Amino acid sequence: MNIHVLDKSIYTAVTEAIRSEATRLLTAGDVTVIVGYAAARRKGSAQPIVITSSADADKLIFTPACVNNLAVYLTKAKKEIPKGGKIGIVVKGCDLKALVGLMGESQLKREELYLIGVPCVGVLASTVQPATELTAETIASKCRECDAHLPSGCDLLPNVVLPPMPQLEGKYSAEIARLEALPPAERWAFWKEQFAKCIKCYACRQVCPFCFCEQCLCDRNKPQMVDTTPRPAGNTAWHIVRAMHLAGRCAGCAECERVCPMDIPLNLLNRKMAKELKELFDYEAGFEVNEKGPLSTYTEKDDQSFIK
Amino acid sequence: MQKYISQQNLNTLLDKLITKGIRVVAPRISAGIPLYEPLKCSDEMVTDQLPRRSAKEAFFPVCEEIMSYEKEGQQVKLTDVDPARFPETVLVGVRPCDAAAIPVLDAVFSWDYKDEFFLERRRKTTIIGLACTTADDACFCTAVGLSPAETRGSDLFLTLLDGGGYACESYSEKGEALINGNGELFSESNNAVPFHLAAPQAEKIDLKKVKAWLDEHFEDPLWDGIAVRCVGCGACAFVCPACHCFDIVDEGTEKNGKRRKSWDACGFWKFTHHASGHNPRDLQPKRYRNRIMHKFKYYDDKFGQTLCTGCGRCVRICPVGIDIAAIVDEINKK
Repeated sequence: MNIHVLDKSIYTAVTEAIRSEATRLLTAGDVTVIVGYAAARRKGSAQPIVITSSADADKLIFTPACVNNLAVYLTKAKKEIPKGGKIGIVVKGCDLKALVGLMGESQLKREELYLIGVPCVGVLASTVQPATELTAETIASKCRECDAHLPSGCDLLPNVVLPPMPQLEGKYSAEIARLEALPPAERWAFWKEQFAKCIKCYACRQVCPFCFCEQCLCDRNKPQMVDTTPRPAGNTAWHIVRAMHLAGRCAGCAECERVCPMDIPLNLLNRKMAKELKELFDYEAGFEVNEKGPLSTYTEKDDQSFIK
Repeated sequence: MQKYISQQNLNTLLDKLITKGIRVVAPRISAGIPLYEPLKCSDEMVTDQLPRRSAKEAFFPVCEEIMSYEKEGQQVKLTDVDPARFPETVLVGVRPCDAAAIPVLDAVFSWDYKDEFFLERRRKTTIIGLACTTADDACFCTAVGLSPAETRGSDLFLTLLDGGGYACESYSEKGEALINGNGELFSESNNAVPFHLAAPQAEKIDLKKVKAWLDEHFEDPLWDGIAVRCVGCGACAFVCPACHCFDIVDEGTEKNGKRRKSWDACGFWKFTHHASGHNPRDLQPKRYRNRIMHKFKYYDDKFGQTLCTGCGRCVRICPVGIDIAAIVDEINKK
């Protein structure tokens, strides 16, 4: 069965709402900059855009090709975006979870943001051409399990009615169940083959809103914690470091997996860690601003069964 | 002299080479993605998908050992890698955009320092190019003066014919030798059969004009406009058939280890980070500017060519949709 995109008039309405709000905000000086999406050259494609003038507001769009989690641009690691004054940002429900996480980690203050929420049916998988129609086959895997079609608590949420959406089988949950059922040696063989593809381009790190360290552990050479070359030792170390550092923080925007030029299923690691956090601490990242995440606090009630 | 080779005979040729102990590298599916890798048998070759990484790694691997060390007491023993051990290779099914990048790399690796790791592999490799039959809107070989039937860089070049089989043309002694040594697999070509070729839509760009603009615009608002969105990964450089920067590191323990050479990228913050802590390319637009400058100006200044063959890989994989074809087109229209 095909899921159809929000029908044309509703899409137009979302884009129109973004544009008029951007015009108003920039004209009134309520924000200094707006991070959103604009059309790009390839048919149907979109890319992030940073605008500072209301004259550019008409460049803003929202379509199923608006795949990026723009929250990455608001972190201290991205020095290119002017951080003085209030920042406007176009956010899907999944992106909002990252902003919530960043607020919890004292990286952003709510009052310094103007959130332009967008109702979202889903975005396109990275494996299809940008001009493809959004269907049950072409939708990104993360969107099949989406619980945030409507971002809540935004400063603006265009008043549109989401079309009815079919229940889609979750690909991550099925794949995690499959891997969990494998004998450890086979599971290890699976990841070894996947990590062998890694070329250390660090696209996964660079798009991650939670990889905001100004100097990544993996870029340090005094001491050299992790081998830098794209070989089994350093690749495996990097992906384990990444998974552990994101446990309890990653809310599943799946940008790491989308951008991997070698198609390593990175979000599987993140979803597996999220599952562990849910089971061990009854914790889910991204729903409320929480300064004390489960892995940064200790209570006597914590499960200690792993100490043998 | 144009020859004809059927698909079956091409497979026979490749299997024959493999049996003889020659390393045959071609696009194959590896852990779910198409990559240029050594074949175990000809059936593994896939010709309908552009490999995710370019053919440069046949000469310039993602990572390679260049030396090893061992320390015992006060004695340090260094062992070089012997390039004579690199295997004879036939690189087949190479896309024109990948093959055309190889002479571009030759210029760099044989310039003042002769890189024997690259050059020895190059000497021992015969390149069989393959004309493209499909193109998408990220392809722009035609914009940079190449085409789906470009033969530059190929020793032999295959063009799929309507109705199956390939027209085969030789462009070097290595190509001649491969045909002559396997004459029974080739026949005279039937010139009447039309070629099956892709038709990329990108219009030709005036590369001289682009360079002239770059000569004068190291500082320009364009750089912020296009690259403020750049997140600073190395994906574009790593999938590029012409990018050739590398890093050298020692990995191991105090007792023993290896010196390794691996791909590097000018998009990385660390690329120009000085020991003093200063970074002349402190923000991403300055790093992205270098990518454009190197491809369309610096390399041309030094070697008289362009460091881009329009394969479109960086356009397809850029996490934030940076489109080098659109950028160069924008400069061309200035």
